[in-house]
Amino acid sequence: MNKDSLSGLVLLALAGGYYWATGFIADSTLEDEVGAVGLPHALTLALVLLGLILLVRGLLAARAAAAHAATGPGAARVEDEERDARVPRALGFLAIGAAYVVLLPYLGYLVSVALLIGAVSLFEGAPRRWTVPLTAIGGALLYWAVFVKLLGVNQPAGLLFQGWLS
Amino acid sequence: MTTFWDIVHLLTATPIIFVAIMGLTWGILGGALPGISASITMALVLPFTYTMDPAMAIALLACVYIGAEYGGSIPAILIRTPGTNSSAATVIDGYELNRQGRAGEALGISLMSGVIGSLFGLAMLALLTEPLSWLALAFTPPSYFGLGILGLSVIASMTGGSLVKGLAAAVIGLMISTVGTDPISGVTRYTFDIPDLLNGVEPVLVMVGLFALTELMSQSGSTAVLALKDSVRIRLPNLAMMNRLKRSQTIGCILGLFEGLTPGGGGSIAAFMSYNEARRWSKTPEKFGKGSEEGVAAPEAANNTVASTALIPLLSFGIPSSNSTAVLLGGLLMHGLLPGPRLFEQNPQVIDSLYVGSFIAIIAQIGVGVVLLPAAVWLVNRPRPYRAGFIFALILSGIYTLNMATFDLGLALALGVVGYLMRIAGFPFLPMILGVVLGHMVESSYRRSLVLSGGDMMVFLQDPICVGLLLAAAGFVIFSLSRELRDARKAKLQEALG
Repeated sequence: MNKDSLSGLVLLALAGGYYWATGFIADSTLEDEVGAVGLPHALTLALVLLGLILLVRGLLAARAAAAHAATGPGAARVEDEERDARVPRALGFLAIGAAYVVLLPYLGYLVSVALLIGAVSLFEGAPRRWTVPLTAIGGALLYWAVFVKLLGVNQPAGLLFQGWLS
Repeated sequence: MTTFWDIVHLLTATPIIFVAIMGLTWGILGGALPGISASITMALVLPFTYTMDPAMAIALLACVYIGAEYGGSIPAILIRTPGTNSSAATVIDGYELNRQGRAGEALGISLMSGVIGSLFGLAMLALLTEPLSWLALAFTPPSYFGLGILGLSVIASMTGGSLVKGLAAAVIGLMISTVGTDPISGVTRYTFDIPDLLNGVEPVLVMVGLFALTELMSQSGSTAVLALKDSVRIRLPNLAMMNRLKRSQTIGCILGLFEGLTPGGGGSIAAFMSYNEARRWSKTPEKFGKGSEEGVAAPEAANNTVASTALIPLLSFGIPSSNSTAVLLGGLLMHGLLPGPRLFEQNPQVIDSLYVGSFIAIIAQIGVGVVLLPAAVWLVNRPRPYRAGFIFALILSGIYTLNMATFDLGLALALGVVGYLMRIAGFPFLPMILGVVLGHMVESSYRRSLVLSGGDMMVFLQDPICVGLLLAAAGFVIFSLSRELRDARKAKLQEALG
């Protein structure tokens, strides 16, 4: 299945989910002629139409591509494969961000940011040397000093270190 | 009307000079990092402006934009990698000059042409914006509906080759804008009993998620190694050289003005058009592509002009014509400032700060650009893994600042994933941003118009401004659609010819 067909299906699923969630919008005595569900219904319809167009376009393109099947992988195909190979890395990056979100309320800003910088640096290929923790701690102290102390931007102190890192 | 004493007060009683220099510095450093565009540089700093005085916050963002346009030319000239999209045209002759051992000269020409373009753009901004904005005083709810539709019609020219995908992205953006409290009846929509969603999804979260987080995720695992020469020093052009460059700089300024005013124009189009026109009008067209000074001056004057003139439709009517101006609009909305004549009337200090801050940044660019070059080179040469860690930490720190809520962090990460998938599937970002930013205005003005007219749809055709705006929007969509069809036909023909 090519990108357009897949995108079309995702759009249709998204439209279905959005329409389902529209059912939870409560009625109001202040309702106007269009109502709170007017625009959502119009948007659902638009997304269904666009999803169908993409799906059909993708299927037609797939059929045309099959008719002109190349003997080897084309440049675009190789490019796609290279990009697909990087998807797990992007997900790993996201997982580090998600871990930061979970740990932030417990460990507080200073410790969480140090862990974040260290983890991302290692994940992105920094050599496993003493420079990683040193850079992570230095970076966290720098951010904490600039944002929390200098600019007065509030960041969570954390449950574990509350009182002496805020 | 701003008086001389207002400006003196601004300079002496506010931190405008500090803000302008900081914005400029951040802009140059961010713009110099390949992959970090002007809009990403602005989006990174946007959350931190939340706690700032609105006038200073908007001035800061405008100065970041100015700095990023120059910063983008540094790697374009030194390593043939444009730091921002709009500096792509600078690569052609800038890098050739570098290969000839004239990198310092190319950087100097880029800097001075950028300063001239920015000054011209700022003058046009100050002259044209307020008179245009007064048109908006005659606006009624139907007119605002027409304006919102015109803003959304920009999407037609920002689809990156696929109108269907651009429209789908816009619809998703509009869907996001429906989250929160309904503007007329007050009922909640799509909040799923989560209190953090009662006020809707802030456009800034969408911008940071789509632009910044998506870029970081896309760059993850990249093994590209960039190395700038530490020894490069800027050589500013002398008067004789400036005299030789005036024709190409004028071309850059004029096309920059035109493109800045055009919805969907933008710095990259202006830069490439200026490059072509400068070659056409040059006395030495044969030098273009082989290290022409004019080939650096024209695109740099153009993209820096756009950095100011693109603010004209934004401040007058609230229409963002590029990613960067969309981020600036996000900044205005975040501080409760609505573009249009009331902004000039009720918040003149915001406009004054924007103009004065931009002027300071443009002039300071000559000194800061020279001083900051080694720092920009140092930053670009840092190992990518550490840089990624620091940028990710900066993004997440900024997002938390908005509402002091970890929920926002999760939401921005989710939007980053959406952006990443959109990029893989070839969906453009700007239509989605426009949908989020303009969705509320389009829906509320449409429904208010119908409430006022008792449900009569003719209300939209009885308002001449609304009719004019809707016709302009229709014309714009038809023009973009016909261009896309023509391009597709041309591509098919070329493919058939082999």
